[in-house]
Order: sequence, then C-alpha cells, then structure tokens
Amino acid sequence: MLKNYFKIAIAVLRRRKFFTFISLFGISFTLTILLVLTAFIDKVVGDTYPDRKRDRSLYVTHLQESGKNAMNSSTLSYYFLSHFVASLKTPVKLGISSGYEGTNTYVNNKKLAVNYKYTNADYWDIMEYDFTEGKAFSKQQIDNADKVAVISEDMKRDYFGDIPSVVGKYIEADNVKYRVIGVVKNVPITSYNLYSDIYLPYTVSKTNFKSDHGYLGGFTAVLLAKSKADVPGMRDEYAAMMRRVPFQSKEYDKMYSRAEPYLQSYVNTGNESMSGVTIVLITIGIFVLLVTVLPTLNLVNINITRIMERSSEIGVRKAFGASSGTLVYQFLVENIILTLLGGLIGVVLSFIAIQVINSFHLIPNLVLSINFTVLGIGLLVCFFFGLLSGVYPAWRMSKLNVVTALKAQ
Amino acid sequence: MMFKHLFKLIWNKKKQNFLLMTEMLFSFLVLFAVFTLLVYYYDNYKKPMGFEYQNVWVVSYNNAYQTKNVDSLNTYYEILRKNIKAMPEVRELSFCSFNTPFTNNMSQGGMTYHQKRFDHINMYTAEDSYPATMNMQVLEGRWFNKTDVATKNKPIVINSDFKEQLFGKGKAVGQLIGNNDDKDKMRVIGVVQSIKMKGDYAPAGLGLYQRTDTGSFRWMGKIMVQVVPDASAAFEGRLYKTLANYMKNSNIEIEHLTNKRTSINYFTLVPMIVLSIVGGFLAINVALGLFGVLWYNINQRRGEIGLRRAVGASGNAVSSQLIYESMILATLSLIVGSFFAVQFPLLNVFDLSAGIYISAMLLAIVFIYLLVFVCSLYPGRQAAAIYPAVALHEE
Repeated sequence: MLKNYFKIAIAVLRRRKFFTFISLFGISFTLTILLVLTAFIDKVVGDTYPDRKRDRSLYVTHLQESGKNAMNSSTLSYYFLSHFVASLKTPVKLGISSGYEGTNTYVNNKKLAVNYKYTNADYWDIMEYDFTEGKAFSKQQIDNADKVAVISEDMKRDYFGDIPSVVGKYIEADNVKYRVIGVVKNVPITSYNLYSDIYLPYTVSKTNFKSDHGYLGGFTAVLLAKSKADVPGMRDEYAAMMRRVPFQSKEYDKMYSRAEPYLQSYVNTGNESMSGVTIVLITIGIFVLLVTVLPTLNLVNINITRIMERSSEIGVRKAFGASSGTLVYQFLVENIILTLLGGLIGVVLSFIAIQVINSFHLIPNLVLSINFTVLGIGLLVCFFFGLLSGVYPAWRMSKLNVVTALKAQ
Repeated sequence: MMFKHLFKLIWNKKKQNFLLMTEMLFSFLVLFAVFTLLVYYYDNYKKPMGFEYQNVWVVSYNNAYQTKNVDSLNTYYEILRKNIKAMPEVRELSFCSFNTPFTNNMSQGGMTYHQKRFDHINMYTAEDSYPATMNMQVLEGRWFNKTDVATKNKPIVINSDFKEQLFGKGKAVGQLIGNNDDKDKMRVIGVVQSIKMKGDYAPAGLGLYQRTDTGSFRWMGKIMVQVVPDASAAFEGRLYKTLANYMKNSNIEIEHLTNKRTSINYFTLVPMIVLSIVGGFLAINVALGLFGVLWYNINQRRGEIGLRRAVGASGNAVSSQLIYESMILATLSLIVGSFFAVQFPLLNVFDLSAGIYISAMLLAIVFIYLLVFVCSLYPGRQAAAIYPAVALHEE
C-alpha cells in the first residue's frame, strides 16, 4: 500500500513542477536555517573540548553583592575561590583560572595580539587539553613561580612560524620571557572561560592575587566531583557555604553565587533578576517560530490548492468506497514524502552553507559541522513539518462531497 | 460599488483567503521586525562619529604604582607623560577612565535636573588634552582647563545628546544639574559633539565628562595616544618597551582604534546580515506561495472570467479586477498587522524612537504591497488573455 502511495506521490510531484518547486524551496530553506542554527548551538555549548568531564563538574563564574543602593557583580577573586570555595569537602579538584586578557608582543617588527590566562595546577587535571607536544605545568612549578607557559597551536604558528617543535624555546609576552613547556590544540573564543593563547601559572602574575582580600576579581572556578552522583551534593554544599560567607561591607545585605552546570554558567548574565537561560530560550524560541510559521502557512496554502486540483481523483476514490480515514492517511504520507524530499535537499544546502560559513572564518577555530544530533533534529523537524502542513488540507479534502468533487471537472 | 462587489467575491472564498491573509500578516510582521532593525542601524550610521579614530591608539595598563602620597603619584605619571610625548611620532595623549571608544566597558550613573531624573548617563573622566587627542568638536562653551581646579560647583562637559534631552534647543553653558539625589550641583561649562562609543551602528547615548583630579591616577587605566599617520609597528614596539620598562608591575596592551572599530561593528553587522538573508528568503518564499495560489485561482475561475469577457469587459478590466482583489486582501491583513506593529511605539517596548518604528512600518507596508502586486501581475495578465469562447466552451 505504502509503495502505491509513494508512486502516486512521485507522479503528483512531477505533474505540477512549479508547485513542487515552491514546496521544496520552502521546506529545504527553513530546514537549512534551523540546521545551521542547531549546528552553531551544538558547537558553542555542546562541544566538550577541553572540559570533557562536564557531567561531573560545576562552574562558578559570578558573584553578586547587592544592597539598597548598591549592586556589584563580577567574576570572583582568587582569594574568595582559594579561601572559601577551597574549603568545600565534596569537590576532589578545584580548577581556578583567570579570564583571558590581552597584551602585545612584537616579533620581527610585527605586532601580535596575545591573550593570556592564569591557572592553577588542578585546572590542568580537570581539563583534558590535547597536547601536540610537551605537557602542562605542575604544582611544583607553580609554587616555584617558574616562568613557564603552555601555548596554543595558533600562537605557536604566529610567533615561531612553521617549525616542528617549540618546547624549551622562549616566548616573550607582556615584556616577560616565558619558557614554552607545552602546546595545546586551539579552543574557540566562544568557550570564553577556557580560551586563551598563552596559559601561565597564576604565581607569575605581576599582580599579587593573594594580598587582595576582596571577593570580586578576575577569576572563575571549576569544581570536579568524584562521580556524577556527587554533583547535586556539591551544588548544595556550595549554596550552604555561601550562606556562611560574611558580607564585605554594610552596604550589602544580599550575596549570590552559585555552582552551576556548564550551560547555566555559560549564559549567566551576572544579574540575579535576569536569568540568562530564560533570555536565550525566548530569543531562540521567537526566531524559530518566525522562521517556521511562514513556510508552514505557505505549505498549507499550496497543499490546499493541490488537493482542490485533484478533486476528481478524490471523488472517484470516494465513489469506489475509500473512507475519509484512508484518504487522510494517503495524503499525509504523500506530504511527509514531500517534506522528507525537501529535508534531503535541506541537508545538502546546510552542508554547503556550513562549508561557506566555515570558509569565512567568522570566529577563529569555530568549525561547524553537521553531526548525527543535528541530522536527527533535522529529520524530526521535517516530519513535524509534514504532519503540520498536511493535517488541515487533508481534513479539508476528506470533507469533500463526492458529487461536487466529481462535478468540478 | 466596485469595491463592494470585490468584497463579496473575497467573502465567498473566505476559507482560502483567510490562509492567504494570515500568511501576508506574518510576512508583514517579520518584515516589520527586520526593517525596524535596519532603520535603527541606518539612523545611527548616518549620524557623525564625533571624533577621529584613525590615528588614535589605546594603551591599557594596570596595577602600575602603589603609593599613598598623591604628589609622588602625580610625579610618577607626569614623567611617563613626558617620556611618551618626547617621541616624535606622538602628537598628543590623554589619560582617561576605562570606558574608551569601541569597548564594552561602561560606567553609567544618574543625574537630576529640575526634579527630573536621567538614567544611563555614561560617565567619562578625562584630562584637558582629551579633545585634542581625539579631535572632538566643542559645540558650545569650552572644554576643561587649569582654571577649573577650585570652583564652587564642579565643572562638567556634556555631549550633544544629553544637552538635547536636558535643555532642548536652549543654552546649556552655565546651567546647574544635580547628581543622583539632587545634592551636589554641577555646572555645565561646555557641550561636545556626541561620540558613537559603541561603533558606527550604535547610538551615542547620553554622556557626561568630568575633569581628572589629583587622585584620578589611582584608578585610571587607559591612555589615549594620537600618533602621526605613518607610525610603524617598529615605533609601536618602542612605545611598548618604554611603557613596559617604566611600569614594571603592569600588564600593558596597545590597541588601535581602527581595529577596535572594525571588530565592534562586526558584532552588529553579522546579525544584521544574517537577519536580512533570512528575511529575504522568507519574502521569496511568500512571494512564490502567493504567486502559485493566485495563479491556480485564476485557472479555477476561467468560467467566471470568460463570462465577464463575453458580456463586454476588456482584458485590462479583468486583470485589474484580479489585482484589486489581491490588493484588498493585502490591505486587510496590513490593517491587522499595523494594529500589532503600532503597539511597539505606543508601549515603547524597546526604547526606540517612534520615528524608527513608523518608517519601518511604512517600508514593510510598501514592500508587502509591491510583493502582492508583482505576484498578481502575471496571473492577472494570464486572465486577461482568456478567450471567452474557449473558456465558456470548457464548461
């Protein structure tokens, strides 16, 4: 039976090439937009390089202090993280790193903009950076304040040029010479808490982080639990710790900071009255709605037109005893075949679009790709589309009166 | 009379027309959104930048010199100033607060004038040499100078946007405005052309400048440096060494405003291009759909059209009837769409001026009419070509 429907569907599609083209154009283009969007989101928040232990980690990125007349929100200080957060029992590791900051270096009369970032030793135990050579700095080296650096592949190429090995060589940044001890694969800047060109031990910083006892500063932390099951306990322990932390000044009467899963921390606005997750969801929701509603309406319109055109066929089938259910079923199948065909074209189009976007290098090191998640979502969207745009026309069709349908021609 | 008849025709096919109208309505709303954004960006774009960024570099430093003594603090930075200025490639420089052009750094506050509160005012702190470094235009009054040290009311300079809000077309110089709780009165001594700090496509916003005082060096972290047009990377390296060797405990970064402008514009341009492409394709999609449906409708109505031709209607009359019909459909959906769109300026949803919404609305309306007109042109022509004898014979 299905095979028959399939044959009919193909015959119908070939009869009115213009309508087929309109339908396919609408479906494939909408799908392309949605696929590129999902590929982007998937890459930005779903890519687990280098923090592969995400499911047993919690991220601390903000602290907000507020009172009647004052509000202050920022990343945290080294003191806060090493004094209060380090006292927690559940985390087995506490990775602390500063946000990346810019400086310059000058090689052969050429200027290089360099982003650097300070980390502690646990950071390297939690993160699984891919080292193309060398290794990370150890606790010993941090305690000795050794001037050593881990650099990214991009930095290696820009600073040293095309040479096989740079471990042991010196790189000058911020007017200081550091010995390169490791080279890691690039992280795109969209993973803004992990990205940098040069990673340095926090002890070599020109600012003495330990002397400053304020709560706000330039650092974030990753808390690693022993197992996935310990994560909720770790979050609660952090919340309990926050209730004990004394206020810095009388100006404030509230203090917020949370250990959050990656996604929440990624979109944290730093403002307690405005949840980043809600904003992102609403924005994406409105965009998707606008992008899908129009082509769906278009499809419904076209589908109705097509059915009316086939009224004589429907009349004949009804006259020979086909029930409304059968006809609706047939039409839905046809429509789903049409949308899947559009989906196929859409996947090809998205593939091309993604190649084009990648070739523009809009964001360095952010290489989009269509993976199975994206493809699965695409097929699901197609199926949904087919049903949505087919149900109403099919219902209209099944309502056709046999006599009028036959007479129409 | 004719319109009444056309309405009847539309009403008779209300089910099918309803879907068409919903489609037009949604396309109107999408276009309205896209055009609002485009008009908003264009509106900002055509306003002057307010300063010359071409040969200005920004030096960022931190944590340079710790001392309790104000005099030695000032001496420390005056020596640095002399060292930089001694370089032949440097024309002018000015220390200033960290909210420099084309960064995301902001420092905002509120002011009170005649019991009216103004919020989101960008607070800048700068030296006497700031306008010369940035090539800013002073529109009224003057910029700060040495005489501003000991005055009863703290002197301030405001930007033209803020002046417009405070005094309209009136005179600004000499007026007193109060701070947050309207206590400390400050005297306006000058008005400068607003600077688009967030790039070409963003509004300048309200701005207020304060003169640096003796303690400002404690917290300032930026130096604006105007260099000669052909300053090379070798010179930049020298400047960098000079700074880094003088401020041993500091992290130094030199950035060019030209590059910073490009990258901040990029963040507005990319979403704009993406939205325009998406909007464009949606419009094509809708156009194709409309075209198909109208075309099909005409084929359905061959009998009716043939009859009209037979009783004496000219080909033009038939095709314009069809075009009128679709235009009426468009008008109906545009009325509903405008009802939604007009809520944006009425409720002041996104803090944009009403003019932007209205121009966007007009653009979207014109666009939809054009789209519908073009889409019904060909089907209308086709209808005009129907021969009554043939069409009536088919029945």
